[in-house]
Amino acid sequence: MILAVAGLSKRFGGLTAVAGLDFVVGKGEILGLIGPNGAGKSTTFNLIAGVSGADAGEVCFAGEPILGLAPHQIARRGIMRTFQHNRPFAGMSVTDNVLVGAHVRFSRRVFGNAGEERAQRDRAEGLVEFVGLSGLQAADVVTLSFGQGRLLEIARALAGEPRLLLLDEPAAGLTPVEAERIAGLIRGIAARGIAVLLIEHDMRFLLPLAHRVVVLNFGAKIAEGTPEAVRADPAVLNAYLGSHAPA
Amino acid sequence: MKRLLSWVLAAVVLSGIAFFMGGYANDVYRKLLLWVALALSYNFLFGISGQVAFSHFSFYGIGAYAVVIFVFQLGLPLPLAVLAAAGLCAVLAAAVAIPSTRLEGFYLALATLAFAQLFVVVLNEGGKVTGGPGGLADYRLPEILGFRLAGPWYTALIVLLVLGTAALLWRLDRSWFGRACRAVRDSPEAAAAMGVDVARTKVIAFTLASTLAGFAGMAYAFVDNTVSPTIFGLENAFLLLFMVIIGGSGSHAGAVIGAVLLYLLPFGLSPLIGHHHALVFGVVMVAAILLQPKGLVGLAGLVRRARA
Amino acid sequence: MRDFLELAVSATASGCVYALIALAYLLMIRPTGIINFAVGEWAMVGAFAGYLTLSKLNWPYPAGMAAMLGFMLLLGWATERVAVRPLVHTGAPPLAPILALLGMLVVVRESVSIGFGPDPHQVPEPFGFAWQKEYMVGVTLAVFAGAWLFFERTLAGRSFEAVALDRKAAALMGINLPRVTAASFAGGAAVAGLAGILVSPNVSAHYLMGVPLAIQGFTALVIGGVGRVEGALLGGLLLAFAEQLTVRYAPIPAGYAQGVPLLLLMLFLVVRPTGLLRARA
Repeated sequence: MILAVAGLSKRFGGLTAVAGLDFVVGKGEILGLIGPNGAGKSTTFNLIAGVSGADAGEVCFAGEPILGLAPHQIARRGIMRTFQHNRPFAGMSVTDNVLVGAHVRFSRRVFGNAGEERAQRDRAEGLVEFVGLSGLQAADVVTLSFGQGRLLEIARALAGEPRLLLLDEPAAGLTPVEAERIAGLIRGIAARGIAVLLIEHDMRFLLPLAHRVVVLNFGAKIAEGTPEAVRADPAVLNAYLGSHAPA
Repeated sequence: MKRLLSWVLAAVVLSGIAFFMGGYANDVYRKLLLWVALALSYNFLFGISGQVAFSHFSFYGIGAYAVVIFVFQLGLPLPLAVLAAAGLCAVLAAAVAIPSTRLEGFYLALATLAFAQLFVVVLNEGGKVTGGPGGLADYRLPEILGFRLAGPWYTALIVLLVLGTAALLWRLDRSWFGRACRAVRDSPEAAAAMGVDVARTKVIAFTLASTLAGFAGMAYAFVDNTVSPTIFGLENAFLLLFMVIIGGSGSHAGAVIGAVLLYLLPFGLSPLIGHHHALVFGVVMVAAILLQPKGLVGLAGLVRRARA
Repeated sequence: MRDFLELAVSATASGCVYALIALAYLLMIRPTGIINFAVGEWAMVGAFAGYLTLSKLNWPYPAGMAAMLGFMLLLGWATERVAVRPLVHTGAPPLAPILALLGMLVVVRESVSIGFGPDPHQVPEPFGFAWQKEYMVGVTLAVFAGAWLFFERTLAGRSFEAVALDRKAAALMGINLPRVTAASFAGGAAVAGLAGILVSPNVSAHYLMGVPLAIQGFTALVIGGVGRVEGALLGGLLLAFAEQLTVRYAPIPAGYAQGVPLLLLMLFLVVRPTGLLRARA
């Protein structure tokens, strides 16, 4: 068990965004966090990623509490994330973007470390290939399509050699073909022993991909289990009734 | 090895030509070199780290005044005075940068604008210490080991300063630190998510760049052997900004091009427009921004594109 | 006591000038989020317009004032058209218009310096020396009343969200209203020009007067807060009082008085960047 969330709560003024949330993620497991709009998925994500502070609860990563740490400290612990709306570093090439992802892996030397620089660059270029952006290593990120940008987000996050990967709606805005490719990529990542926590709207994307799913509604967990079990859960069907009815 | 040789060659050539120039030309050349040094460090701050600041030229002045005051009023030996002046620049820079990190980027611009103006006020009101509006004069570069650097030899020293600045910044740019600075510039949120300590990166970049400006200032103090408040107003701060933008912000070559162009151009334009080169530069900068707003790639970028 | 009263009147008059400049910034920041440092140069242009029409051409005061305001409206509109709109259209980074305006600042200043020469030029008072300060206060209050009415009572004014300074200048939202931007720049220029013509009888029109005014005005804005019109007035008065009290009573050389707005600006930026008055929820 690499990530343990217990009693997580967050309010915004009078609105309870997340209420007493508990779940765990195992090593090499793909856990999907799903729920209708406003269910609290993004808030939960941000709490774990260190972007906002929680009001109550505990988050333990590899046995260490991480709630309240700043985003860069979270990254240093081994949790990397992607963004829902691609956030590339616009002034740099694809490889350089990925190299920023490896920031935490560099020794702090700037002189006489040509060897390390070269090794990291080779690794980064390899990652660019791995996610499926072959040949685009030297390209300006502004020339990438939206779908390619999504792949870059993942490559960049992987560069940090995380033990847990947080994916923010990885399939959003992608064509079915691109979505399938990303799903395959995610499976490959989990197969390497990296835990993946992803938030997603779309049950159809999640079903064949996630090992387990946690369903949120109004900030609370209403169901948890394998995708098949959850999909048939009456509480879940109720929550989704009228909006994204699962196929 | 090859790279080291090119730097050495550059040093030899750039210093060598000083020996073939007369006194006036040497003076112009020295000041040009100092502007290049300033533009390079400013480019690192503004173009690479994305920090809009107007204090850079002030740190040039702090370096200049500090070294003169430390040597001739406090009696420190030159090497110690240089270190002390650098230390002063670093401390002041950190003092400006650290509180500014908590706020949005543009606050740095305002704080540094105020800092620059404050510096001039302090110089003017500094009485005996700073020499007031008249500044400090009547001093000479002290001898080191019985040898006084003068004439083309001093120019050679400045060449070494410029090349040293360029080499350092170039090296940093290609390291994880340079990438972190660019990342913070392009998307601070994403940078933090990748493990970059945004605040610390900004402070280090600002302090480093400002201290490099301070070193250039120390060299400047002995160019005319006089320092006065007049040149440390905002005019030159704006000119530095113009140089980097027109040359191509984010590019070392661009900074050099911008500095050379904007420093030498007035000499050629004087017959036409007298002292009002600032007008031309302002127009050119506005044009540069209007014509390519997305990248501020400047002249260096145009050359790169033409070659591609 | 009389001493203090004199100081108070003088500070109030100065404070009004700072307040007007702060208002000029505010008029442009509210709908667009753009910080336009060129307001200082605009004030300078207003002062020179005053010199030109009132001193050189000897027009009656109302005519000179009207001509200045008309010219400033045009200048503001033209600046927006040239330096801001094309950049917003092409989706430039938020820094771009600010830098372009900085370039314009230099262009305006140099143009005036070429046109009028580097020496200061005298601008006459409208009602003689005795009522000068009261006049400044009166005009300022009238302008602020108008601005307050506009922002609080008209639909157009209320629809401008206060683009608070703690959001990045990237918040160029609402720029799909090009007319609003043009109007805000025109208005900002007019108010800045007014500040210039009001202050010029005391300090003379000089081509370098822009940047200090820009800084003082911005300090006033930061102190008062960008969320409310009254903030600009409060900030201007506080700044002027702080300045004059320091000069008069503090045991430091008079030259350091120029440092007061700068120190206050740095202080407020660090401690209280949103200013003293909060925007109404």
